[in-house]
Amino acid sequence: MVYVIVVYDMQADRTHLLLKFLRRYLTHVQNSVFEGEVTEGDLETIETRIDSILEPDESTIIYEVSSEKLLQREVFGDDPTEDQRFL
Amino acid sequence: MDRNYHVFSDGRIERNDDTVRLVTEDGEKKYLPVENAEALFLHGQIDYNTRLVSFLNDHGVAMHVFGWNDYYAGSIVPKRGQTSGQTLVEQVRAYDDPERRRDLAAKFVAGSIHNMQTNVQYYDNRGHDFGPIRDRLDACRSALDDAESVEEAMGVEATARRAYYSTFDEILPEEFVFGGRKYNPPNNEVNSLISFGNSLVYANVVSAIRATALDPAISYLHEPGERRYSLALDIADLFKPLLTDRVVFRLVNRNQLTTDSFESELNSCLLTDAGRKTFSKAFEETLERTVEHPRLDRKVSYQYLLRMEAYKLKKHLLTGEEYVPFERWW
Repeated sequence: MVYVIVVYDMQADRTHLLLKFLRRYLTHVQNSVFEGEVTEGDLETIETRIDSILEPDESTIIYEVSSEKLLQREVFGDDPTEDQRFL
Repeated sequence: MDRNYHVFSDGRIERNDDTVRLVTEDGEKKYLPVENAEALFLHGQIDYNTRLVSFLNDHGVAMHVFGWNDYYAGSIVPKRGQTSGQTLVEQVRAYDDPERRRDLAAKFVAGSIHNMQTNVQYYDNRGHDFGPIRDRLDACRSALDDAESVEEAMGVEATARRAYYSTFDEILPEEFVFGGRKYNPPNNEVNSLISFGNSLVYANVVSAIRATALDPAISYLHEPGERRYSLALDIADLFKPLLTDRVVFRLVNRNQLTTDSFESELNSCLLTDAGRKTFSKAFEETLERTVEHPRLDRKVSYQYLLRMEAYKLKKHLLTGEEYVPFERWW
Protein backbone atom coordinates (compact mmCIF):
# COMPACT_ATOMS: atom_id res chain seq x y z
CA MET A 1 0.00 0.00 0.00
CA VAL A 2 1.11 3.54 -0.69
CA TYR A 3 -0.32 6.87 0.39
CA VAL A 4 -0.77 9.28 -2.49
CA ILE A 5 -1.73 12.89 -2.99
CA VAL A 6 -2.96 13.68 -6.48
CA VAL A 7 -3.24 17.25 -7.69
CA TYR A 8 -4.38 18.19 -11.16
CA ASP A 9 -4.66 21.22 -13.31
CA MET A 10 -7.03 20.99 -16.23
CA GLN A 11 -9.25 23.12 -18.38
CA ALA A 12 -12.22 24.15 -16.27
CA ASP A 13 -14.78 22.26 -18.35
CA ARG A 14 -12.78 19.04 -18.18
CA THR A 15 -11.98 18.69 -14.49
CA HIS A 16 -14.99 16.43 -13.96
CA LEU A 17 -13.23 13.67 -15.92
CA LEU A 18 -10.58 13.19 -13.27
CA LEU A 19 -12.93 14.05 -10.42
CA LYS A 20 -15.26 11.20 -11.33
CA PHE A 21 -12.47 8.74 -11.93
CA LEU A 22 -10.46 9.46 -8.78
CA ARG A 23 -13.52 9.28 -6.52
CA ARG A 24 -13.50 5.54 -7.05
CA TYR A 25 -10.13 5.21 -5.33
CA LEU A 26 -9.42 8.23 -3.17
CA THR A 27 -10.91 10.94 -0.99
CA HIS A 28 -11.68 14.29 -2.55
CA VAL A 29 -10.06 16.76 -0.17
CA GLN A 30 -10.15 20.03 -2.09
CA ASN A 31 -10.82 21.31 -5.59
CA SER A 32 -8.52 19.26 -7.83
CA VAL A 33 -6.88 17.49 -4.89
CA PHE A 34 -7.33 13.87 -3.84
CA GLU A 35 -5.56 11.76 -1.29
CA GLY A 36 -5.66 8.34 0.27
CA GLU A 37 -4.15 4.90 0.53
CA VAL A 38 -4.12 2.64 -2.53
CA THR A 39 -2.46 -0.58 -3.56
CA GLU A 40 0.48 -0.52 -5.95
CA GLY A 41 -1.75 -2.14 -8.56
CA ASP A 42 -4.44 0.51 -8.23
CA LEU A 43 -1.79 3.20 -8.42
CA GLU A 44 -0.70 1.81 -11.76
CA THR A 45 -4.30 1.85 -12.99
CA ILE A 46 -4.65 5.44 -11.81
CA GLU A 47 -1.45 6.52 -13.56
CA THR A 48 -2.41 4.91 -16.85
CA ARG A 49 -5.86 6.41 -16.77
CA ILE A 50 -4.63 9.91 -15.92
CA ASP A 51 -2.15 9.69 -18.75
CA SER A 52 -4.89 8.88 -21.22
CA ILE A 53 -7.22 11.63 -20.03
CA LEU A 54 -4.79 14.56 -20.06
CA GLU A 55 -4.60 16.92 -23.02
CA PRO A 56 -1.76 19.26 -23.98
CA ASP A 57 -1.13 22.02 -21.42
CA GLU A 58 -2.81 20.05 -18.66
CA SER A 59 -0.92 18.39 -15.83
CA THR A 60 -1.30 16.06 -12.91
CA ILE A 61 1.17 15.47 -10.12
CA ILE A 62 1.14 12.41 -7.89
CA TYR A 63 3.01 12.67 -4.61
CA GLU A 64 3.68 9.25 -3.25
CA VAL A 65 4.54 8.37 0.35
CA SER A 66 5.45 4.80 1.14
CA SER A 67 3.24 4.79 4.21
CA GLU A 68 0.65 7.01 5.82
CA LYS A 69 2.75 6.95 8.98
CA LEU A 70 5.62 8.77 7.28
CA LEU A 71 3.38 11.59 6.22
CA GLN A 72 3.48 14.70 8.35
CA ARG A 73 0.05 16.14 7.77
CA GLU A 74 -1.43 19.17 9.45
CA VAL A 75 -4.95 20.35 8.74
CA PHE A 76 -6.43 23.74 9.50
CA GLY A 77 -10.19 23.91 9.57
CA ASP A 78 -12.27 20.83 8.73
CA ASP A 79 -10.46 17.68 7.70
CA PRO A 80 -12.32 16.07 4.77
CA THR A 81 -10.63 12.71 5.33
CA GLU A 82 -11.79 12.48 8.91
CA ASP A 83 -14.46 9.89 9.57
CA GLN A 84 -14.57 9.05 5.93
CA ARG A 85 -15.58 5.51 6.74
CA PHE A 86 -18.28 6.42 9.24
CA LEU A 87 -20.99 8.30 7.46
CA MET B 1 -6.30 -3.10 2.86
CA ASP B 2 -9.95 -3.42 1.98
CA ARG B 3 -12.10 -1.23 4.14
CA ASN B 4 -15.45 -1.43 5.79
CA TYR B 5 -17.71 1.58 5.49
CA HIS B 6 -20.35 2.22 8.14
CA VAL B 7 -23.39 4.31 7.30
CA PHE B 8 -25.22 5.70 10.33
CA SER B 9 -27.18 8.48 8.70
CA ASP B 10 -30.56 7.98 7.11
CA GLY B 11 -30.81 8.50 3.38
CA ARG B 12 -30.06 6.74 0.18
CA ILE B 13 -27.03 5.00 -1.30
CA GLU B 14 -26.73 4.77 -5.02
CA ARG B 15 -24.40 4.13 -7.87
CA ASN B 16 -23.02 7.36 -9.25
CA ASP B 17 -20.11 7.94 -11.63
CA ASP B 18 -18.90 4.37 -11.21
CA THR B 19 -18.65 4.59 -7.48
CA VAL B 20 -20.98 4.52 -4.50
CA ARG B 21 -22.62 7.70 -3.26
CA LEU B 22 -24.50 8.39 -0.07
CA VAL B 23 -27.15 11.10 -0.16
CA THR B 24 -28.22 11.92 3.37
CA GLU B 25 -31.69 13.13 4.23
CA ASP B 26 -30.55 16.73 4.38
CA GLY B 27 -29.16 16.45 0.86
CA GLU B 28 -25.47 16.07 1.66
CA LYS B 29 -23.57 13.92 -0.83
CA LYS B 30 -20.64 11.74 0.12
CA TYR B 31 -18.65 9.45 -2.12
CA LEU B 32 -17.27 6.08 -1.05
CA PRO B 33 -14.27 4.83 -3.01
CA VAL B 34 -15.60 1.50 -4.24
CA GLU B 35 -12.26 0.13 -5.40
CA ASN B 36 -10.91 -0.49 -1.93
CA ALA B 37 -14.16 -1.35 -0.20
CA GLU B 38 -14.66 -4.69 1.52
CA ALA B 39 -18.19 -4.19 2.81
CA LEU B 40 -20.82 -1.61 3.64
CA PHE B 41 -22.48 -1.75 7.03
CA LEU B 42 -25.87 -0.07 7.02
CA HIS B 43 -27.00 1.07 10.45
CA GLY B 44 -29.42 3.81 9.46
CA GLN B 45 -32.61 3.77 7.43
CA ILE B 46 -31.27 3.51 3.93
CA ASP B 47 -32.88 3.24 0.51
CA TYR B 48 -31.09 1.55 -2.37
CA ASN B 49 -32.02 0.00 -5.67
CA THR B 50 -31.10 -3.00 -7.80
CA ARG B 51 -28.66 -0.94 -9.81
CA LEU B 52 -26.57 -0.49 -6.68
CA VAL B 53 -26.80 -4.17 -5.83
CA SER B 54 -25.44 -5.24 -9.23
CA PHE B 55 -22.74 -2.63 -9.03
CA LEU B 56 -21.59 -3.86 -5.60
CA ASN B 57 -21.77 -7.40 -6.92
CA ASP B 58 -19.42 -6.50 -9.79
CA HIS B 59 -16.96 -5.04 -7.31
CA GLY B 60 -17.21 -7.90 -4.83
CA VAL B 61 -18.49 -5.65 -2.06
CA ALA B 62 -20.85 -7.08 0.56
CA MET B 63 -23.60 -5.12 2.26
CA HIS B 64 -24.51 -5.97 5.85
CA VAL B 65 -27.78 -4.62 7.16
CA PHE B 66 -28.39 -3.84 10.80
CA GLY B 67 -31.94 -3.29 11.96
CA TRP B 68 -32.25 -1.06 14.95
CA ASN B 69 -33.83 -3.43 17.38
CA ASP B 70 -32.69 -6.83 16.19
CA TYR B 71 -29.12 -5.99 15.50
CA TYR B 72 -28.04 -8.09 12.53
CA ALA B 73 -30.75 -8.17 9.86
CA GLY B 74 -28.90 -9.86 7.02
CA SER B 75 -26.36 -9.51 4.25
CA ILE B 76 -26.43 -8.94 0.55
CA VAL B 77 -23.29 -10.67 -0.59
CA PRO B 78 -21.75 -10.67 -4.03
CA LYS B 79 -22.28 -13.62 -6.25
CA ARG B 80 -19.51 -16.06 -5.52
CA GLY B 81 -16.45 -15.35 -7.60
CA GLN B 82 -14.95 -18.53 -6.29
CA THR B 83 -16.84 -21.66 -7.06
CA SER B 84 -15.41 -25.06 -6.52
CA GLY B 85 -17.51 -28.18 -6.54
CA GLN B 86 -14.58 -30.07 -5.10
CA THR B 87 -14.44 -27.83 -2.02
CA LEU B 88 -18.15 -28.19 -1.46
CA VAL B 89 -17.95 -31.98 -1.74
CA GLU B 90 -15.07 -32.13 0.73
CA GLN B 91 -16.84 -29.75 3.07
CA VAL B 92 -19.91 -31.96 3.16
CA ARG B 93 -17.83 -35.13 3.49
CA ALA B 94 -16.13 -33.78 6.58
CA TYR B 95 -19.52 -32.81 8.00
CA ASP B 96 -20.94 -36.25 7.33
CA ASP B 97 -18.04 -38.13 8.92
CA PRO B 98 -18.79 -38.09 12.68
CA GLU B 99 -15.13 -38.48 13.58
CA ARG B 100 -13.91 -35.58 11.41
CA ARG B 101 -16.81 -33.36 12.37
CA ARG B 102 -16.15 -33.96 16.05
CA ASP B 103 -12.45 -33.14 15.56
CA LEU B 104 -13.20 -29.89 13.79
CA ALA B 105 -15.85 -28.93 16.35
CA ALA B 106 -13.36 -29.62 19.16
CA LYS B 107 -10.74 -27.46 17.42
CA PHE B 108 -13.11 -24.50 17.22
CA VAL B 109 -13.88 -24.88 20.92
CA ALA B 110 -10.21 -25.31 21.85
CA GLY B 111 -9.32 -22.12 20.00
CA SER B 112 -12.20 -20.22 21.59
CA ILE B 113 -11.22 -21.32 25.09
CA HIS B 114 -7.61 -20.38 24.48
CA ASN B 115 -8.64 -16.90 23.38
CA MET B 116 -10.89 -16.49 26.42
CA GLN B 117 -7.95 -17.57 28.58
CA THR B 118 -5.67 -14.88 27.18
CA ASN B 119 -8.21 -12.21 28.15
CA VAL B 120 -8.63 -13.63 31.64
CA GLN B 121 -4.89 -13.90 32.05
CA TYR B 122 -4.41 -10.31 30.96
CA TYR B 123 -6.74 -9.03 33.68
CA ASP B 124 -5.40 -11.56 36.17
CA ASN B 125 -2.04 -9.84 35.75
CA ARG B 126 -3.64 -6.45 36.24
CA GLY B 127 -4.84 -6.66 39.78
CA HIS B 128 -7.73 -9.09 39.50
CA ASP B 129 -7.67 -12.50 41.06
CA PHE B 130 -8.95 -14.86 38.41
CA GLY B 131 -7.01 -17.95 39.53
CA PRO B 132 -10.15 -20.07 40.06
CA ILE B 133 -11.59 -19.05 36.68
CA ARG B 134 -8.33 -19.84 34.96
CA ASP B 135 -8.41 -23.28 36.55
CA ARG B 136 -11.97 -23.79 35.35
CA LEU B 137 -11.01 -22.84 31.81
CA ASP B 138 -7.99 -25.16 31.94
CA ALA B 139 -10.31 -27.93 33.09
CA CYS B 140 -12.65 -27.22 30.18
CA ARG B 141 -9.78 -27.41 27.79
CA SER B 142 -8.79 -30.83 29.12
CA ALA B 143 -12.38 -32.04 29.18
CA LEU B 144 -12.51 -31.31 25.49
CA ASP B 145 -10.16 -34.20 24.74
CA ASP B 146 -12.74 -36.59 26.19
CA ALA B 147 -15.67 -35.05 24.35
CA GLU B 148 -16.96 -37.84 22.18
CA SER B 149 -19.54 -35.93 20.22
CA VAL B 150 -20.20 -32.50 18.82
CA GLU B 151 -22.89 -32.03 21.49
CA GLU B 152 -20.36 -32.65 24.23
CA ALA B 153 -17.90 -30.22 22.65
CA MET B 154 -20.72 -27.68 22.49
CA GLY B 155 -21.45 -28.31 26.17
CA VAL B 156 -17.81 -27.72 27.10
CA GLU B 157 -17.84 -24.49 25.14
CA ALA B 158 -20.98 -23.33 26.98
CA THR B 159 -19.43 -24.13 30.37
CA ALA B 160 -16.23 -22.33 29.46
CA ARG B 161 -18.05 -19.29 28.18
CA ARG B 162 -20.14 -19.07 31.35
CA ALA B 163 -17.01 -19.15 33.50
CA TYR B 164 -15.38 -16.60 31.25
CA TYR B 165 -18.36 -14.24 31.32
CA SER B 166 -18.35 -14.37 35.11
CA THR B 167 -15.17 -12.28 35.03
CA PHE B 168 -16.88 -9.41 33.22
CA ASP B 169 -18.60 -7.99 36.30
CA GLU B 170 -15.20 -7.64 37.94
CA ILE B 171 -13.38 -6.25 34.93
CA LEU B 172 -16.01 -3.60 34.19
CA PRO B 173 -16.90 -0.66 36.45
CA GLU B 174 -19.69 -0.95 39.03
CA GLU B 175 -22.41 0.82 37.08
CA PHE B 176 -22.08 -1.74 34.29
CA VAL B 177 -23.85 -4.77 35.71
CA PHE B 178 -23.67 -7.85 33.54
CA GLY B 179 -24.93 -10.90 35.41
CA GLY B 180 -24.67 -13.34 32.53
CA ARG B 181 -25.38 -13.42 28.87
CA LYS B 182 -28.89 -12.46 27.68
CA TYR B 183 -30.01 -11.57 24.21
CA ASN B 184 -33.15 -11.17 22.12
CA PRO B 185 -33.23 -8.46 23.31
CA PRO B 186 -30.18 -7.68 25.47
CA ASN B 187 -31.34 -6.73 28.97
CA ASN B 188 -28.50 -4.43 30.03
CA GLU B 189 -25.61 -2.33 28.76
CA VAL B 190 -22.99 -5.06 28.75
CA ASN B 191 -25.20 -7.54 26.93
CA SER B 192 -26.11 -4.87 24.43
CA LEU B 193 -22.42 -4.21 23.70
CA ILE B 194 -21.62 -7.91 23.37
CA SER B 195 -24.57 -8.42 21.00
CA PHE B 196 -23.59 -5.53 18.81
CA GLY B 197 -19.88 -6.48 18.80
CA ASN B 198 -20.57 -10.12 18.06
CA SER B 199 -22.81 -9.20 15.16
CA LEU B 200 -19.95 -7.12 13.71
CA VAL B 201 -17.59 -10.08 14.11
CA TYR B 202 -20.16 -12.33 12.45
CA ALA B 203 -20.67 -9.99 9.49
CA ASN B 204 -16.92 -9.71 8.97
CA VAL B 205 -16.57 -13.49 9.01
CA VAL B 206 -19.34 -13.72 6.41
CA SER B 207 -17.25 -11.42 4.21
CA ALA B 208 -14.13 -13.51 4.89
CA ILE B 209 -15.82 -16.81 3.98
CA ARG B 210 -17.13 -15.22 0.82
CA ALA B 211 -13.54 -14.76 -0.34
CA THR B 212 -13.12 -18.54 -0.44
CA ALA B 213 -15.09 -21.26 -2.16
CA LEU B 214 -16.39 -22.54 1.19
CA ASP B 215 -20.11 -22.79 1.61
CA PRO B 216 -21.06 -20.60 4.58
CA ALA B 217 -24.05 -22.77 5.50
CA ILE B 218 -22.14 -26.02 6.15
CA SER B 219 -20.65 -25.98 9.60
CA TYR B 220 -19.12 -28.28 12.17
CA LEU B 221 -19.56 -27.00 15.70
CA HIS B 222 -22.92 -25.36 15.18
CA GLU B 223 -25.62 -27.40 13.54
CA PRO B 224 -26.21 -26.25 9.98
CA GLY B 225 -29.57 -24.54 10.16
CA GLU B 226 -31.99 -22.81 7.91
CA ARG B 227 -31.50 -19.21 6.89
CA ARG B 228 -28.17 -18.60 8.54
CA TYR B 229 -24.50 -18.92 7.80
CA SER B 230 -23.60 -21.35 10.54
CA LEU B 231 -19.99 -21.72 9.39
CA ALA B 232 -19.61 -18.03 10.20
CA LEU B 233 -20.83 -18.82 13.73
CA ASP B 234 -18.13 -21.51 14.09
CA ILE B 235 -15.35 -19.16 13.03
CA ALA B 236 -16.73 -16.06 14.78
CA ASP B 237 -16.53 -17.82 18.15
CA LEU B 238 -12.75 -17.91 17.85
CA PHE B 239 -12.53 -14.16 17.43
CA LYS B 240 -15.12 -12.78 19.83
CA PRO B 241 -12.71 -12.52 22.80
CA LEU B 242 -10.10 -10.76 20.64
CA LEU B 243 -12.47 -8.38 18.89
CA THR B 244 -15.75 -7.83 20.74
CA ASP B 245 -14.69 -8.33 24.34
CA ARG B 246 -11.48 -6.34 24.18
CA VAL B 247 -13.27 -3.42 22.54
CA VAL B 248 -16.00 -3.56 25.22
CA PHE B 249 -13.44 -3.53 28.06
CA ARG B 250 -11.45 -0.73 26.50
CA LEU B 251 -14.33 1.60 25.73
CA VAL B 252 -16.11 1.12 29.03
CA ASN B 253 -13.06 1.22 31.27
CA ARG B 254 -11.85 4.39 29.59
CA ASN B 255 -15.26 6.02 29.90
CA GLN B 256 -15.64 6.39 26.16
CA LEU B 257 -18.97 4.69 26.62
CA THR B 258 -21.02 5.47 29.71
CA THR B 259 -24.52 4.53 30.80
CA ASP B 260 -25.65 7.62 28.85
CA SER B 261 -24.71 5.80 25.63
CA PHE B 262 -27.72 3.51 26.00
CA GLU B 263 -31.47 3.72 25.76
CA SER B 264 -33.49 1.44 27.97
CA GLU B 265 -36.95 0.38 27.03
CA LEU B 266 -39.22 -2.26 28.42
CA ASN B 267 -36.98 -5.33 28.94
CA SER B 268 -34.35 -4.14 26.53
CA CYS B 269 -31.31 -1.93 26.49
CA LEU B 270 -29.77 -0.70 23.27
CA LEU B 271 -26.90 1.52 22.20
CA THR B 272 -27.75 5.01 21.02
CA ASP B 273 -26.65 6.06 17.53
CA ALA B 274 -23.69 7.92 18.99
CA GLY B 275 -22.80 4.87 21.06
CA ARG B 276 -22.93 2.61 18.04
CA LYS B 277 -20.70 4.98 16.15
CA THR B 278 -18.14 5.03 18.95
CA PHE B 279 -18.20 1.25 19.15
CA SER B 280 -17.90 0.72 15.38
CA LYS B 281 -14.97 3.09 15.20
CA ALA B 282 -13.05 1.31 17.93
CA PHE B 283 -13.97 -1.99 16.34
CA GLU B 284 -12.63 -0.95 12.93
CA GLU B 285 -9.43 0.33 14.51
CA THR B 286 -9.03 -3.07 16.12
CA LEU B 287 -9.56 -4.87 12.81
CA GLU B 288 -6.81 -2.74 11.33
CA ARG B 289 -4.29 -3.53 14.04
CA THR B 290 -1.45 -5.63 12.83
CA VAL B 291 0.62 -8.33 14.41
CA GLU B 292 3.76 -10.10 13.29
CA HIS B 293 2.83 -13.49 11.94
CA PRO B 294 5.47 -16.09 12.87
CA ARG B 295 4.90 -18.40 9.92
CA LEU B 296 4.21 -15.82 7.22
CA ASP B 297 7.07 -13.70 8.51
CA ARG B 298 5.21 -10.46 7.93
CA LYS B 299 2.67 -8.27 9.63
CA VAL B 300 -0.98 -9.12 9.17
CA SER B 301 -4.07 -7.21 10.26
CA TYR B 302 -6.63 -8.70 12.59
CA GLN B 303 -9.06 -8.54 9.69
CA TYR B 304 -6.73 -10.67 7.63
CA LEU B 305 -6.64 -13.22 10.44
CA LEU B 306 -10.36 -13.79 9.79
CA ARG B 307 -9.70 -14.48 6.17
CA MET B 308 -6.77 -16.76 6.99
CA GLU B 309 -9.06 -18.83 9.16
CA ALA B 310 -11.27 -19.53 6.15
CA TYR B 311 -8.23 -20.36 4.01
CA LYS B 312 -6.83 -22.72 6.64
CA LEU B 313 -10.12 -24.55 6.96
CA LYS B 314 -10.41 -24.90 3.20
CA LYS B 315 -6.87 -26.22 2.99
CA HIS B 316 -7.57 -28.76 5.69
CA LEU B 317 -10.69 -29.97 3.88
CA LEU B 318 -8.98 -30.29 0.52
CA THR B 319 -5.56 -31.61 1.48
CA GLY B 320 -6.09 -33.14 4.90
CA GLU B 321 -3.39 -30.86 6.38
CA GLU B 322 -4.14 -30.43 10.07
CA TYR B 323 -6.38 -27.49 10.88
CA VAL B 324 -4.91 -25.43 13.70
CA PRO B 325 -7.50 -22.97 15.01
CA PHE B 326 -6.64 -19.33 15.61
CA GLU B 327 -5.10 -18.95 19.03
CA ARG B 328 -3.80 -15.58 20.05
CA TRP B 329 -0.01 -15.96 20.21
CA TRP B 330 0.98 -12.49 21.34
